[in-house]
Amino acid sequence: MRLYRKEGNTVQILALPNESVEKGEYLLIEDPATRRSLISQVIDIQFANVPGILEELLRNSTTNDLIHEESFDPLGVASHVTYIQDSRLLICKIRGTIEDKKLSIGSSWLPSRSQSAIKKLPTTSLLALARVGNSLPIQLGETKELSPLSIEARALDGKLSIVTGKKETGKSHLSKLLVLGLIDFGAMVVVLDLNGEYTRLGFSSNGEKNEHFSKVHVLTPGDNLKITLTQLKLRVMLNILIHALHLPGTSAREFRRIWCFLQEQGTLNLQELGEAIRNWRCNQHVRDALFSRYYSLLNSGFFTDNPVEATDLEENFCRIRNGGALIINLHDTSLVDRQIAVEYVLGKLVELLTQWKIKAVFLFAEEAHLYLRETYWDDIVTRMRHFGVFTTFVTNQPNTIRENIYRQADNIFLFNFTNEHDLETVSRAAKVDAETVKSVARDLPPRHCLVLGRAVSDFPVVVRVRALDIQTMGQTRLFFTNTS
Amino acid sequence: MIEQFHYATTPKYNFPQSLEDLQLPQRFIELSLGSIKKINGQIFRPDTITSYELTKESSKDAAVTFPLTDSLTMQPIPLKPLSEDITVVALDVSSIRIGETKTGVLCAVRGAIVSREKSRYRCLRLGPFPFHITEENRREICTMLRKHYFKVTGEINAYSLDNIHNRICNMLERWLQMGVSCSSYRSIILWDGSLTAGSMDSPVNVVSKLLEVARNRLNAVLAFSKITRLRLSGCRLTDLVWKCPPPSLLQINGFTAHNSGKLCFLGKIYVARLTEGSCSFRLDVDREIPCEQGVDAVQKLLGNDLLIQSYPESLRLAHIFSTFTANEVIGIQRLIAQKCGLKIVSRPNMRRLLFGPFGKGSEG
Repeated sequence: MRLYRKEGNTVQILALPNESVEKGEYLLIEDPATRRSLISQVIDIQFANVPGILEELLRNSTTNDLIHEESFDPLGVASHVTYIQDSRLLICKIRGTIEDKKLSIGSSWLPSRSQSAIKKLPTTSLLALARVGNSLPIQLGETKELSPLSIEARALDGKLSIVTGKKETGKSHLSKLLVLGLIDFGAMVVVLDLNGEYTRLGFSSNGEKNEHFSKVHVLTPGDNLKITLTQLKLRVMLNILIHALHLPGTSAREFRRIWCFLQEQGTLNLQELGEAIRNWRCNQHVRDALFSRYYSLLNSGFFTDNPVEATDLEENFCRIRNGGALIINLHDTSLVDRQIAVEYVLGKLVELLTQWKIKAVFLFAEEAHLYLRETYWDDIVTRMRHFGVFTTFVTNQPNTIRENIYRQADNIFLFNFTNEHDLETVSRAAKVDAETVKSVARDLPPRHCLVLGRAVSDFPVVVRVRALDIQTMGQTRLFFTNTS
Repeated sequence: MIEQFHYATTPKYNFPQSLEDLQLPQRFIELSLGSIKKINGQIFRPDTITSYELTKESSKDAAVTFPLTDSLTMQPIPLKPLSEDITVVALDVSSIRIGETKTGVLCAVRGAIVSREKSRYRCLRLGPFPFHITEENRREICTMLRKHYFKVTGEINAYSLDNIHNRICNMLERWLQMGVSCSSYRSIILWDGSLTAGSMDSPVNVVSKLLEVARNRLNAVLAFSKITRLRLSGCRLTDLVWKCPPPSLLQINGFTAHNSGKLCFLGKIYVARLTEGSCSFRLDVDREIPCEQGVDAVQKLLGNDLLIQSYPESLRLAHIFSTFTANEVIGIQRLIAQKCGLKIVSRPNMRRLLFGPFGKGSEG
């Protein structure tokens, strides 16, 4: 391999066909004179622009069924020509410099074109230099060189992460892996599980209970997640009414009065709330509005007047205090019911965190745009982070996450995307240049992920996500099953 | 230590048996190898290959202008394709300078023979054969080649190193012409260029011998010149206009076989417009073949080969398969550098060095 040219933070390296290099791999450009080495990552592989290649290809294309070609080439020049034709140009991004065995990000120097030696830099060596995965390691899978790759659980602590990629590339699988990795180190995890994919995390693929069984608790709204009105703060209830049920401001003010009245009377329950709305002296339109919301709350099945049926979320959080996951199963729930449940859970979470009843929580939100209200996005990445809610968004529609969230993301686990629009959206992440995202992510095979950000010390790494021995629930139900 | 090559002649080609001692390409390869064997460890300055250098082409004719006198007449001949099955064989060669060493120049030559039979083309490429020509071996190489292939003995004029590759290329071409003439029977043989002899590259006795061998095996040699330097009263031959629609020939009568100078026209000269369009070519047909037979040969060519822009496809393919691409030149440079342990040193372009962006044109 020879250093060909450098432009900005891009270097072009000429590689011959026997020098096999793949996208995402790291190369070390060693300059013996300065005793420094430039770390670069291959983001694209092109054919070298060899002069005369067009003529050569055109000539070869004339040999078909009608033209039979024989060649007497005693010196074997043809093999050399083919060799040159297949030479490649590696487009690489400069990631850092090694000087005196110390790693630094970026580069302000240029290695010698004629004297530099270029060799592959195994990802494990790079990450060892960057001191990645030394403590609290979560093993993600293996690198291109088939060596195991781990990230530190600390890399997710206090951070905003995004797991994204197109359908069926392994996003949920990776987030399950992260969830289990976190709870192994005693972290508290809350999963907003849209498709009920995480409900069997406590079971092995053969259906038997696994070592995580006791740490995974599934709460299904309307089933084993029900609350009484007394468990609910007025602020949370108003959020539900305004944001999930779109109650107008005037009606919300009346509701507040009714709620306070019932609280003072000590009769805050569903039945009394219905009665109060019915008998409250107010505008008929307001009453109608309140009634329609009341029935929505009633029909959600999320609320109960029976204290025995009610779930104490605080108690559930206590159960996972030493590591565990609360799976909020939003599968088979309507949009409104989903929003009600999420408003309650997040409200309660903030309440517990503010009171220091719990230390911090890792929140995994699958397709959050389907249940998270607009105002929550900024809240999650700014305010709630300070309370100790460290969110990981999992989505196959990257445009549903706002640009400012990409910019603030500390880690991105990027799976394959082929759609230009999707790649464009993800490339706005501040953690890496747009070219790397677009070029590498486009060619990622299924179950391969490009890890960007803090987790890999800002050295983008392609990893083949390891398999998990858990019962998969995220598989699409098929009509035509394989009968053979 | 240079790796030793062991070669045998290709079994796929029916090399002519009628000429004694004609063992090319074995001899040719030996010469090629022998020349490059001696360059071990030298410094090699590869030539910069530009598309201009690869595509430039010059006429193989000498520049001759004939005055339009009463003795010169022009006669249009309409043509009709004859569908009688006949083999068409075309050949072409090319050469290129690869670079230079401290003691000489490196060049390569290659030939291609294309035959069309029963609507199918067969192509045989011979080479590339690289040569390292020095002041010491240039005379030896040329004399040996001439002696072996054409039985021409005696000292030849010293060729300049600058265009020695053209000379070697020419010898390969003559050898291929001889091989095709000997191995073909009742075929049409297409040459690139003309049947004008008398130059250093085309001694009259050599070209006459080639035509004779072809004729004896009932072959007809047709030579197509893309560019001609023959002029009639200042007008280029291929620019002449006649009324007969294509396919047709314009026969130029009145050229004597022996010109006042050294040149000798061994063919009858025609201007050929074989398809619709603006392209016409100078066509030389063996002078010793009766006129009707020569025209018949062209008509058989029309019936047996594709003609695009008045040019036979087999000859076009022969040209394409023999031409060096820039890619191949790099391949040969790499091969020689690798096999002979040459140290590659780029030669600075003096024009660029002196004149910067104004230093245009090839480095001379």
